[in-house]
Amino acid sequence: MSENPQLSTPNHQLSLTGNGDLRQTLVVVFLRGGADGLNLVAPLEDDGYHRARPRIALGKKEAVPLDGFYGLNPLLKPLAPAYQDGALAIVHAAGSEDDTRSHFEAQDLMEHGGVTAGGWLGRFLRAQNETSSGPLAAVALGRAIPECLRGAPAATVLQSLEDFALGDNRARFTRALAGLYHLERGLLAGAGRDTLDAMRRIEQLRTAAYRPANGADYGTDEFSRGLLEIARLIKARVGLRAASLDLGGWDSHFSQSLIMDPLITRLARGLSAFHRDLGGAMEQTTVVVMTEFGRRVEENSAFGTDHGRGSVMFVLGGGIQGGRVLGKWPGLSREVLEGPGDLPVTTNYRNVLAPILERHGAAGRLEQVFPEFALDPLPLFG
Amino acid sequence: MQFSRRTFLKAGGSSVALLATVGCDQLPRELRAFYEPAKSTGPFRPSASEEIDPVTHALNRVAFGPRPGDYERVSKLGPTPAAAAAAYLEQQLNPERIDDAEADRAVRRFETLGEPPGELFEYQDKLLHDELMRGTLARAVFSGRQLFEVMVQFWSDHFNIDPSKGDCKWLKVADDREVIRRHALGKCPELLRASALSPAMLWYLDGRVNRRESMAQKPNENYARELLELHTLGVHGGYTQQDVMEVARCLTGWTVRSKDQKPYFEIGRIEFKLQLHDCEAKTVLGQIIPAIPAHLGKAERERLGRAELDRVLEIAIRHPATARHLSGKLCQRFIADEPPATAVESVARAFAESNGDIRATLRALFATDEFRAQRGNKLKRPFNYIVSVLRATGASTDAGMEIIDYLRRMGHAPFNYPTPDGYPEPAAPWLGTLLWRWNFALAVSDNRIKGTRMEFETLRKNCGGDAGLMAHLLGRKPTAQETQAYHDSGAGLALMLASPAFQRC
Repeated sequence: MSENPQLSTPNHQLSLTGNGDLRQTLVVVFLRGGADGLNLVAPLEDDGYHRARPRIALGKKEAVPLDGFYGLNPLLKPLAPAYQDGALAIVHAAGSEDDTRSHFEAQDLMEHGGVTAGGWLGRFLRAQNETSSGPLAAVALGRAIPECLRGAPAATVLQSLEDFALGDNRARFTRALAGLYHLERGLLAGAGRDTLDAMRRIEQLRTAAYRPANGADYGTDEFSRGLLEIARLIKARVGLRAASLDLGGWDSHFSQSLIMDPLITRLARGLSAFHRDLGGAMEQTTVVVMTEFGRRVEENSAFGTDHGRGSVMFVLGGGIQGGRVLGKWPGLSREVLEGPGDLPVTTNYRNVLAPILERHGAAGRLEQVFPEFALDPLPLFG
Repeated sequence: MQFSRRTFLKAGGSSVALLATVGCDQLPRELRAFYEPAKSTGPFRPSASEEIDPVTHALNRVAFGPRPGDYERVSKLGPTPAAAAAAYLEQQLNPERIDDAEADRAVRRFETLGEPPGELFEYQDKLLHDELMRGTLARAVFSGRQLFEVMVQFWSDHFNIDPSKGDCKWLKVADDREVIRRHALGKCPELLRASALSPAMLWYLDGRVNRRESMAQKPNENYARELLELHTLGVHGGYTQQDVMEVARCLTGWTVRSKDQKPYFEIGRIEFKLQLHDCEAKTVLGQIIPAIPAHLGKAERERLGRAELDRVLEIAIRHPATARHLSGKLCQRFIADEPPATAVESVARAFAESNGDIRATLRALFATDEFRAQRGNKLKRPFNYIVSVLRATGASTDAGMEIIDYLRRMGHAPFNYPTPDGYPEPAAPWLGTLLWRWNFALAVSDNRIKGTRMEFETLRKNCGGDAGLMAHLLGRKPTAQETQAYHDSGAGLALMLASPAFQRC
């Protein structure tokens, strides 16, 4: 017999949503527009890299050294401590099998997880062994639910926490409602109680000023603010399982540094602030950063790069054996490059996501998340 | 100049956005007619019963809940509530005799829904998806053919297709019309055949790439498996992995013209290609389907190849496990999450005896003691909840995207379920949706949803005051606590719509 009377009720799982237990949260950051992986994490020791990009390559002196071969864009320096502590892993030459080099097609395939119905994150959430998920199980920061969350049991577009409240001056209403649900027996009783609890937590969030912990310094841009909201929700323990947000604008056909530098700065500041802010809660959190494709290896005449294939992925979080750049580096010689001169994809993005999803509760059900794909999960967690 | 909304929409996204930004009263007169106004009912008598009586039960369970005046109108169909409910159910089983002008007007604005498959590809897929969702919502709210709409929902789940896959983006509109709606209260074998040859289904479950040009090639089993597991026998229906393979072999060669194949007007057309068909002998669920002899003429061989589909579907639909599986699902929808075995048994018998006549099957279901007895024991799924709120309040609505967004938040927007098993029917997966239900109740009663409007004072007056309004919403007299809460809450209408009783049906 369980000593906790709540756990002896048949629907005890309900009491696990939004009621203060620490959930594992997966945060998906999508860099829309095709981010140039070679400019985020440069293969400094590959001469082909410097030959192909005489004007825009990162110099060995300016880059932040990682492992003797790769170097981090200096603007990503705020992420170096996480890498050195082993909380951040990098996967290079990562991407999908889509070779259309079309933003739309490539994003669509990546978010759906193949030519299949629904999004991979949506299917992941459906594949959970839970009878029900709370009202805040999945949120998308922004204006629309991204395709990756399509088909989720519940997904909310979050712009402001106001969306979650019943509105101002609803104390009488809420009391009367609580009274009626209190009289209930059966399934609705627990659901009502849990929802009212979650509302109280959200209410506290809304009214209390939020001060990031550990001196975390978020930017004022949308990306940083989005991550800050996610950190608040995680700390408030409202049952958040997955959050998604975009950082768009990476389509750097010309004047690459003019386009990419501000974005890289935002990416680094947001992620490092989030990491610092969450502190110990990072143990239950994984952030994965992905993009639909990388850029052509060779720079173009306008100091930019055109649509390519392989790029880079970042994975930040608890349990990761980071401080490594994973994935097979194929080299940049002519016969290795794909199509018009692109870095081939040596690690399919699904193989990066698979071990993360396993850690987040999808062990044994990955086939549902990524159908018709022979998975070969990357050893992210050792 | 004749105003054509179709030309307007085909012109592209910018003009659609324009349409969305101008208010209704700024629209040309031709368009204003699309906006369905609230129907004024005048005073009516809500239920005076202490319990959910048979009339309320029928309106809650077999329809998407009563509209103002429905209870009184249905009550007059018979001398007792039980007789009246029975008469109402019989009416609902004959939708072609129910005038549906109001719903027709409400969905007239969604012009893409009437387009033939080839034409559908001229539209942006997002527009098609939006109109399909909105049209479905509008019909559920305004149609007098409520059981028909409920069965449309049932079959949409049973033969679920997520339009986000491949050409389903365009073809699901035709599937909804030609498969689901055409046969929703028809004959199950015809429904199954229409589904098997639906271009959208051939895309969704990969039937279009199920081929065997040589014996070395492995057929694609996706559709065959779901046909047995979900559409007919059920997962414990007694078929084997071998049966799945054999069914897949029988169905090789059926394909659909995709949007990158010319000519344009033939996109979405179904084709049977003998050269892609496996002509060897097969055994399906113990029945032998002989090889197609090589010496026959091409036309004859093709006829035999095509006929294998009909043979397979017949074997599957006539299998006793299919009657049990479908009856079990119907009983789960109409009686209880854990359907009583005795009811399933008698419904299955009616299914088998009528050769899968859906009306005869439902008639048998509504006649069971279990159906009559199990009242108010089911949780409304989010779609049903939203529709029942709009109906109960007598709201006018354009079934706009703001309402669809509520459904998305609750994970129950129509045509958004990724896997072929369709949205789950039992209560458990939906228990996390209360917050959005409460929010919606407040938003509707405060008239905060664009394009949706209800008149509280008129409704209250027509119900005969607060007590009558509560009885109308709950389908019975309110309890002392409910009355107290109604008055204490400061938002009585929203409170009733958010109350535990209103979540059930």
